[in-house]
Amino acid sequence: MVRIAGLRRGGIVLTLLGLAGLIGLYWMSFFWVSTELTQGIVQRIFYVHVPAAWTTFLAFGFCALTSGVYLWLRDERLDRAALCAAEGGLVFATIMLTTGPLWARIAWGTYWTWEPRLTMTLLLWFIYLGYFMVRSSTEDPERGKRFAAVVAIIGAIQIPFIHLSVLWFRSLHPQPVVVRPDGPSLPGDMLTTLLTGAAVFLVLFMGLFLFRYALETLRAEADRRARTSTI
Amino acid sequence: MTMSTFRSPARRVGFALGFLLLVCVSLGAREVLGMQQPATPQSLKPFWHVFAAYAVVIILVGGWAFSIARRLRDVERRLVD
Repeated sequence: MVRIAGLRRGGIVLTLLGLAGLIGLYWMSFFWVSTELTQGIVQRIFYVHVPAAWTTFLAFGFCALTSGVYLWLRDERLDRAALCAAEGGLVFATIMLTTGPLWARIAWGTYWTWEPRLTMTLLLWFIYLGYFMVRSSTEDPERGKRFAAVVAIIGAIQIPFIHLSVLWFRSLHPQPVVVRPDGPSLPGDMLTTLLTGAAVFLVLFMGLFLFRYALETLRAEADRRARTSTI
Repeated sequence: MTMSTFRSPARRVGFALGFLLLVCVSLGAREVLGMQQPATPQSLKPFWHVFAAYAVVIILVGGWAFSIARRLRDVERRLVD
């Protein structure tokens, strides 16, 4: 039996910590942080939308990195890590792509507009959806893994362009307010809530990533045993 | 849902935290809804969008956690067999 107890324990601790942090984040967002003057209450979506976006980029970036090293070293553990990060990234990307339009409907008067950042983010979501389809599209699983690794790298190339698109093109989407050359432009309480959100989402992602990695390790072991018994 | 669902301490804590999250969201709803009186259906719209966005986070993260737990149980059963 492969050892996954450590991964599992780490996953449980981080996930419970993340859930407790999520309660804290919601409390801060509802009762502590001040209401933005021009947009009002709907601006509070910012505290889940932006951390979800950051976590998505981190997860897809990590997936691309491990995929790249997998193509080089052909270590199965790297492919497993890439798969788990891609799944987590897709979950957080879905959060980003759902909460954004809910905010936009009130702020811009429309759920969706085909402006550069939104379009590229949707494309990124589809590319990583394709990652899973490519993985399972070949008869030889090793080939599928290699093709998927290439898709992950191509997808992640988009991430810096998504960040810079609001600076390069005329866009409805707001300019960056934290990652800027002259420092964050947010008031202190809003910045604290946003960074709390980022930390909470990161801990949740890490916890569930460990769980998912434990699952993939066990699945690989089950497949190995099935192959051995067939032979 | 059976009693066995709550047998593991981690699950019990997980359910308790999930319940606390829901309480937090509903308390938040009461708080912000109470800020504007009298409220018309049009003025309530931004509040519902905020609650929907916060609920999406709980549903998707919770859904992913449950999906992993279910698949993990299935693979463990496969390995035991």
